[in-house]
Amino acid sequence: MATAVQGVPPDATDSGAHDSGSPKVDAPDVRAPEVDAPEFDAPEFDAPEFDAPEFDAPDIDAGEIRAAMEYYARQQWTDGLPVVPVTESYLTEFLARTSRDPSDVVLAMPHLNRECTVRLAAINAAMAGCLPEYFPVVLAAWDALVGEGYVTRAIWQSTTGTAPLLIVNGPVRNQIGLNSAGNVFGSGFRANATIGRSIRLTAINVFGLHPHLLDQATQGTPAKYSACIAENEEASPWEPLHVQYGFDPAESTVTAMVIRSCVHIEARHTQQPEQLGLDIAGTIARTGAMVHETTSATVVLSPEHARVFASAGWSKQDVRQFLYDRAASSRADLAAVGKDAISRNTRWRLPAGHPDALPADESFDPVPALNSPGAVQVMVAGASNAGVSAVIESLGARGNPPSIAKVEGTVKVSSTA
Amino acid sequence: MSICTDSFVPAASAMAKLYGFPAYEFATMPHPLASLDQEQIDSCARELMPQLLRILGVEP
Repeated sequence: MATAVQGVPPDATDSGAHDSGSPKVDAPDVRAPEVDAPEFDAPEFDAPEFDAPEFDAPDIDAGEIRAAMEYYARQQWTDGLPVVPVTESYLTEFLARTSRDPSDVVLAMPHLNRECTVRLAAINAAMAGCLPEYFPVVLAAWDALVGEGYVTRAIWQSTTGTAPLLIVNGPVRNQIGLNSAGNVFGSGFRANATIGRSIRLTAINVFGLHPHLLDQATQGTPAKYSACIAENEEASPWEPLHVQYGFDPAESTVTAMVIRSCVHIEARHTQQPEQLGLDIAGTIARTGAMVHETTSATVVLSPEHARVFASAGWSKQDVRQFLYDRAASSRADLAAVGKDAISRNTRWRLPAGHPDALPADESFDPVPALNSPGAVQVMVAGASNAGVSAVIESLGARGNPPSIAKVEGTVKVSSTA
Repeated sequence: MSICTDSFVPAASAMAKLYGFPAYEFATMPHPLASLDQEQIDSCARELMPQLLRILGVEP
């Protein structure tokens, strides 16, 4: 068998340019291990007949590939899934997509005494399975995360168990094959899956945020594997998210936010914007999500739901205003779950009568869940096939504009795509 | 002097190691803390005192 695989070549072993706490691109001995295949009696079954796809698999030594993958796993440079071995030559393809110096810092976490450079971001993007042309989007994601601000305040170590959500707008979506339509939160699209994953791998490998140690998430969220979606601008009746905040439609951007939950809204029955709006408002105001005095959310409308609003003449701002007006809980409902007062120190919700509780202002009832229409973002994504939408429950900015960074660098689809 | 609940000892130890103090000693108390009432907090504080005094090196 030919051994064409170039897992991690010796030329990557002695670069000496690695930052502390980083995954080093050193070479495992990739001589193929002896693989003892277990013997077992294969169950007999009638295999269905189908037209087998034409395979053009390269002639490689699978044992060497596995040895390289297992080497990374042993170093714990992983989110639990196999990662792509990275060579210096492959890394060069990523670094060629940006004018930034490999040593430039993309994110520093002083409380951990660690920082992520362009080089380390590229290594982890490659390990995540990104193609080189995705790298400008990855860098924009880091810029947006830095701008969002919560990340440097140890939110990735919090028991709440948040994840970064990346929202991509502009032409880059179609240039690199980002999914904005059916199954937008699901699997099946390399760009979505790997760009989001590159952030998680960096958190683990560069910042050392391993679960049970520096990552103290009580439960976490499935979004911690990867959470990167694109807006379905083509199916939206309104301007895209980035244009709403002053970017040109021809520019590509990444919006970053800190999220905990993605709650689905099922409402196939209605063409009345008020009914749909109340369904969404009730979800935003659910008491379980009310950690602080108020909350924030991003409503990801399916094209069908967006049209329910737009067909009735509602602008995106009208939707936000309605949600602000109607996302609220009665004082009695908040009292029933012990969240009717605010901590004088943390502004977290707690029961009236708690020693830390501020005196209740009972002049308004119900109690609004949002502090302004700006605390809820509205965008469109998903297939145009059902009245199904989602409320993303986010932490961080409540009423301020979201953190949006422009995609810069060379996004040009290579022949390997 | 740092006090943490026993659930946070692994994370606290990891942070201490990160800062170059792998043997840093925390006073620990049972988890949870956030949901305790005033009386339970007072009780925890009383139970913590011997630990605090020992770590501070207060002679009996």
